[in-house]
Amino acid sequence: MTTSPAGTAASDSFTHRVLPYDGPGQLLAGAVPFLLDGVDAGDRVLAVSRPDRESLLRDALGPAAEGIEFADAATWYEHPSRTLADCLSDADDTAWRGRRLRVLGDPVWARRSRLEVVEWQRVEAVLNVAFRGTGAALLCPYEASLPAGVVAAARRTHPETVRGARAVPNPGYVDPWTYSAGCDAEPLPRPPAGADTLKLERPDLFWLRAYVTDYARSTPLPEDDLQRLLVAVTEVVTNAWRHGEPPIVMRMWTEAPDGVPALVCEVCDSGRWTSDSGYGLIPPRPGGAASGGRFGLWAVRLLCSIVQIRTGDGGSVVRLRLALPEPGAKG
Amino acid sequence: METPWFAKRPVSQVRPGDHAWLAYSGAEERDSVIGPFVLEGLATNEKVVYVTDASADRLPGLGPRQLVDVHAHGRSGQLRVISRRDACLDRHGTFEPAMMLDTLAREVDAAFGQGFRAVRITTDYSWLVNEPGRSDLGPVLGCEHRVGDAVSPSTMAMAICQIDRRACRRDELTALRDAHEVLVEVNPEFDDGILKIVRTFQPDGLRVEGELDAARHTVFAEQLVQVSTRRSGVPRGGLHLDLSRLGFIDLGGLNLLAQHAVALPAGEPLVLDNLTPNVEHVIEMVGWHRLPGLTRGAERSITGGEETSR
Repeated sequence: MTTSPAGTAASDSFTHRVLPYDGPGQLLAGAVPFLLDGVDAGDRVLAVSRPDRESLLRDALGPAAEGIEFADAATWYEHPSRTLADCLSDADDTAWRGRRLRVLGDPVWARRSRLEVVEWQRVEAVLNVAFRGTGAALLCPYEASLPAGVVAAARRTHPETVRGARAVPNPGYVDPWTYSAGCDAEPLPRPPAGADTLKLERPDLFWLRAYVTDYARSTPLPEDDLQRLLVAVTEVVTNAWRHGEPPIVMRMWTEAPDGVPALVCEVCDSGRWTSDSGYGLIPPRPGGAASGGRFGLWAVRLLCSIVQIRTGDGGSVVRLRLALPEPGAKG
Repeated sequence: METPWFAKRPVSQVRPGDHAWLAYSGAEERDSVIGPFVLEGLATNEKVVYVTDASADRLPGLGPRQLVDVHAHGRSGQLRVISRRDACLDRHGTFEPAMMLDTLAREVDAAFGQGFRAVRITTDYSWLVNEPGRSDLGPVLGCEHRVGDAVSPSTMAMAICQIDRRACRRDELTALRDAHEVLVEVNPEFDDGILKIVRTFQPDGLRVEGELDAARHTVFAEQLVQVSTRRSGVPRGGLHLDLSRLGFIDLGGLNLLAQHAVALPAGEPLVLDNLTPNVEHVIEMVGWHRLPGLTRGAERSITGGEETSR
C-alpha cells in the first residue's frame, strides 16, 4: 500500500481526496498545507467554501491568501452537471497553460433535497473518471457533524483520504460506475395516478412540443425553463425513437418531494440501454462536441434540474425534473 | 405616418395583381428570382414582357442549362423583349414614364386576345437611378406608383421591378421599396410547413425558419453542404444563418451546426444572425465554447433594408 504526502504534488496525476474533519483545527491542518503547496508550485489555486470558513482560511494563510482565488460554495455548487462541466473546463484550460488546477471544494450539503444530495454524491464519484489526465488536485473537506450517510458516501467516492499530513488509499472506495449504478438501484416512485399521459406514435416532435408547451403553461414554470424542457424532451424522445422499443409513453406531472416543487416529465420505452452509454454523466471535452451521442444526454442534464434514468428488463425510463418557483416566491 | 405593409413572397407565388420589388445584391440573387419568374411564365401559358436592352437569349437566369427556346417563344409572342428605347425613352433618349405605362398597358391588353391567361412584367431600373446627372428619384417613383396603380387591380398582370442595391443610396432604396406592396425573394430551398430554408445573398447564407429537430436534420445538413459548396473558393466573410424566425432547434441540430462549422475553411466562420431569445438561451446553457466554430452574429435588427418593416 502506497502513501504519499498529502500536501505536495507528488506526481502529475490527478488526485481526489477526502478530508474528514472535526472542528476548525483539523480542517486547517489538512486544507492549509494543500493550498500553500499549490501556491508554491505555481498552481492555479481555488478555495470554495462557506463565507465563515473563508475568513478562517484567510486568517490561517496570512499573506499567502493573495495567491488563492476564493469562491462562495453556495454559488459555485450551483448545479451538479454544470459545476462538474465548468470545473473540468477550468482544469483542462489550466493544464493547457502548463499549470495544475488545485481546488479545495467544500460542498454544500445543508438545505439540499434528498434527490439533490444523491446527484452531488454521484458527481463526486464520476469526476474520478472525468478528471483523469487533467493533473488536477481536488481536496474535499467533510465535517464530522454532517449526516452519517454523507460522510460514509464520501469514503466510497474519494480514492484517498487525508489523515494528518498524509494521504492514504481509501479502502471503501468503489468504482465510479458501480457507485453511480448504486445511486439508481432504488426504483423510481410511481407516477401519480393523475399524471398527464401521452402515447407517442409518430416521430414528428413538432406536435409533441406544442403539447408539452400547453401542459407547462398550466404550471408556474418560467418561460426560459420551458424552452429547456422542450429541448430536453425532444432529445430524450428522439433517443427513444432511435434506440428504444415501442411503446413510447410520456407522462407529465408536478410534485413537491421534500417540499421542493418540480415539474416532472418522463419518457418510457420498452428497450434497454446498453451498459456503455455513460448516461450523459461525463462532460464532453470542448472541441469534442461534434462527437455525437454523448453530447445530447449530457446537455439534457445541463438543461434540467435533475435527470433520473432507470433501465433494465422492464424497459427504460428517463425522468426530467425542472424546479418550479417556490409557492409564494416572486417570479 | 403610414406604416408600410409588405407581403414577402417567393417568386413562384407571385400572382396577378402583385407589384413586386426585388432589390438584389448581385447577379446570383437576381438570376435566382428572375430566372424562375420568366421560365415559369413561359411554361404555363403566360405572357412574359421584359423591358431590357439585353437580347432574349441573354436574359437573367436563362443560362444554357435552361432548355427553353426563347426565340420560338419570341416568335409566338409569348416572350416580349422590348428595348428601353422602344418601351420608355423619348426622342432625346430621356426616360418617359408615361411611355412606359403605355407600353405595358398595350402588352397587357393584347395578351388577353392572344390567349394568355396572365402577363408577367419585369424590368431592371438600376440604369435609371445610375444615370449621370440624375437629380432625384421623382420620375422613377412616379412611374413606379403608376405601374402599381395599373397592376394592383389587375387580374392578369403581375410585375417585378428589379434594382441593384448598390445602385442607389439607402434612403432612395427605401423610397423605391415603399412604392411596392410585395417583396419578392428566391423560392425556398426547402419548405414543409414546419421547417423552411431560404437562400440569402446579403449576407451570404441561409435563412432558417420554423422548427428544426431530428425529423429534418438530413435535409438541413444537405442544405448546409449545398450552400457551402456553391460558395466554395470565394471567401465572403463567413457563412451566415439568419435565425430570426427559428423557433426551435434541438441538440442534434446544434451539434450539426458545430460539425459543419468545423468543416468550413479557416477564416470562414459559421455566423448565427438574429438569434431568438429561445434559441440563444439554449446555446448559452450548452455553452458557446462547446460549439466551436459557431459565431454570434448580428443582433435582431436590420439586415438588408426591408427586414425592419414586419
